[in-house]
Amino acid sequence: MKDYIYDGTFEGLLNCIYHHYYTDRANGIYTEDCYQANLLCGYQRVETDEQKAQRVYDAIEDKISSYDLRSVYKVFLSGNPDKEMIILRYVVLGFRKGSSVSSLHGNSIVNDFQSVLKKVGAETERMLQFVRFSVMEGGILYAEVEPEHDVLELIHTHFCDRFRNDPFIIRDVGRNKAMIAYQKHWYISEFGDDQVPMVSMEEAEYRRLWKTFFDNIAIKQRTNPRCQRNFMPERYWKHLTEMTELPPQHAWLTK
Amino acid sequence: MEATIMQKLKILADSAKYDVSCSSSGASRYNNGRMGNAHMAGICHSWGADGRCISLLKVLFTNKCEYDCEYCVNRRSNDFPRASFEPEELARLTVEFYRRNYIEGLFLSSAVEISPDHTAEKILESLELLRYKYGFAGYIHAKIIPGVSPEILHRIGLVADRLSVNIELPSSKSLGELAPQKKVKQIFEPMRQITNTLIEHKSLVGPGTMFKGQKLNTPENYLGTPTTGFANADGQSEGTAGRGKPAAGPETSVGRADEAVKYTSETARYSGPALPEFWDQVSETLPAPKKGAFAAAGQTTQMIIGAGGESDKSILTTSENLYHAFKMKRVYYSAYIPAVKSPKLPDLGTPVPLAREHRIYQADWLLRFYGFTVSELFQDGSTDLDPDLDPKVTWAIRNLDAFPIEINTASYEQLMRIPGIGHTSAMRIIRQRRYAAVRFDDLKKIGVVLKRAKYFILCCGRYYGDRKFEPETIRNSILQMEEGLQMSMFDQGGLSLGTTAGSVSALETAAKQSSAGALGTAAKQNSAVALGTARVQEATPLSGKAAAI
Repeated sequence: MKDYIYDGTFEGLLNCIYHHYYTDRANGIYTEDCYQANLLCGYQRVETDEQKAQRVYDAIEDKISSYDLRSVYKVFLSGNPDKEMIILRYVVLGFRKGSSVSSLHGNSIVNDFQSVLKKVGAETERMLQFVRFSVMEGGILYAEVEPEHDVLELIHTHFCDRFRNDPFIIRDVGRNKAMIAYQKHWYISEFGDDQVPMVSMEEAEYRRLWKTFFDNIAIKQRTNPRCQRNFMPERYWKHLTEMTELPPQHAWLTK
Repeated sequence: MEATIMQKLKILADSAKYDVSCSSSGASRYNNGRMGNAHMAGICHSWGADGRCISLLKVLFTNKCEYDCEYCVNRRSNDFPRASFEPEELARLTVEFYRRNYIEGLFLSSAVEISPDHTAEKILESLELLRYKYGFAGYIHAKIIPGVSPEILHRIGLVADRLSVNIELPSSKSLGELAPQKKVKQIFEPMRQITNTLIEHKSLVGPGTMFKGQKLNTPENYLGTPTTGFANADGQSEGTAGRGKPAAGPETSVGRADEAVKYTSETARYSGPALPEFWDQVSETLPAPKKGAFAAAGQTTQMIIGAGGESDKSILTTSENLYHAFKMKRVYYSAYIPAVKSPKLPDLGTPVPLAREHRIYQADWLLRFYGFTVSELFQDGSTDLDPDLDPKVTWAIRNLDAFPIEINTASYEQLMRIPGIGHTSAMRIIRQRRYAAVRFDDLKKIGVVLKRAKYFILCCGRYYGDRKFEPETIRNSILQMEEGLQMSMFDQGGLSLGTTAGSVSALETAAKQSSAGALGTAAKQNSAVALGTARVQEATPLSGKAAAI
């Protein structure tokens, strides 16, 4: 039994799975910055070898299913601190059970995996709902988000299709990176405060209009803040136009 | 002085807020180079202070109204700020909101200014401008004003994803009293036309899973005239558009196909009101009848709860008729909010019947997705739903002879009838069963709401409810759970029901001794009679419990 330390990439994690089978069973899998030395068993740094990663990747697809391969990747994108072991246990079980593994809802390994998967899915959907663009100079759409899970690359299909003819930037503030897209081409890169474009002249006016609409569409006799919070958790409010004060409020607006 | 767009938006959003529907689902469309797309499941972008979802920019085109409907804030006699949009400014506003990802699209309704046709033309003009000039491919929900001419309706359908004609009141009696300018025929004619056109376009889907596996887009399903969907005071079908197969005779609800489809794409293409300037470019590409070209997301309607004197049964019977006759996607319900003073309506201070609206929605879901009928929900002769318990639990308690149901052998339809089990958990149970038996401990992980379900199920032959298997006991247990009330409040007739672990274990002991208790036998018989399957594999523990008390 060993603790594995990997570089935090998906390929790195696949290498850990490889070593779990061919070197020594994993006691825990950590990234360098999260690891606290364990006295009971030694640790090993896992080199990220592309070929080994590919072998595990193909094995998951062939022996389990491509659906589960996608699920594994989504769970990997989650912010759950135990995600590596949740994935490892699921993949190990999957190699034994084959494609039926995702139907074994009562199994606690599967249940742990699927509950994380569900959270990632929910956050992905919330991004489609709660991304709020600002129109910047030159017609660039710019949005800031702070998702708990790293779902930026799961939302490109939707937004690239919808805003095909608008250049847009969705910035993950917490992870300091952004998806930049135009006409169905997209990439994810690092993104700092200094790269934020200037806001356009009419932006403030449309925000005001939206807030006016938002305030007037609610029926006062039915006021129900708990219901509102259930559907729209408070942690998203920071970046919602309708729930924040009007400009100039954001740092980028004053620039 | 002309109002600013800010003032207009304020007034016209305020006037539109009583429309319930805000769904953006049912249409799926990729971006074909224009602006936007439509997402099959719909996307809610925000939730207002009242907890209702905001998916569409929901506004009236104008709130200047000729009509004087008693219940409506926009009624002519109400002293109220009035405004109208210009088509251009509305289209621009929609596009700008859409770009910022505030909304999925536009919900456009209107008060009746001058005449239904005049109003509908304004709506049509705005929508065509939005679709063709701005190239907007997002979601559009258009409200159809009763009494609109078929040509305009058809053209609105060609640009909108969803159409709705509001029935507003659940019976012709209250319609006559409260909305004297709206005629029954004017409401059902457009509904009939929409359904017939959808059949012509082969895109009639129907509500929920009600018509799953049935072919709806066949000529026999064309609706003839007259067709209405109202229920009378007793909750019986009032009109001719009854359930399922029509009765033979002069009042048959199904007419001849050729007579029913009067307004095809052909007629709409060349007749009707003056076309906007850019029409020349688009008329060339006007789609022939093909799937998705006309109101891809179907039609809906809305009913007010608590304005007239109708019972829950009569409201739901009207809904059921609408589902069967017009195959509409949904009926929305809105609890009446006393906003205007009228001698014919509840006083201004009357509490909003939110709980009643909630129960009716639950029952509506049972109709559309769970295979229930209205008569089943009211089979004990009552006319209102139980305010304390949800209608599925109420039904299950009244029909205990159909329970408990063995999770591992029940069909999908049977699973869907168990309180605490819905589509997702039913599918998960079925999927897991192929590889491994579903144990009681698995059910929670599967997502079954055990606090309700446990009274109605057997899992691997065992009963897990901790009480006596009889209607009153189960009812009280569930009530206690849902309301956190003390058991003693329900103690009647001196029967004290044990809740402690001790008494449960006493039951278990008794269970072992008595292998053929009354209930086990009953369940066995009933399983054969009512459900036609042998689902009780091992009745011992269950029967023991019944025998013990």
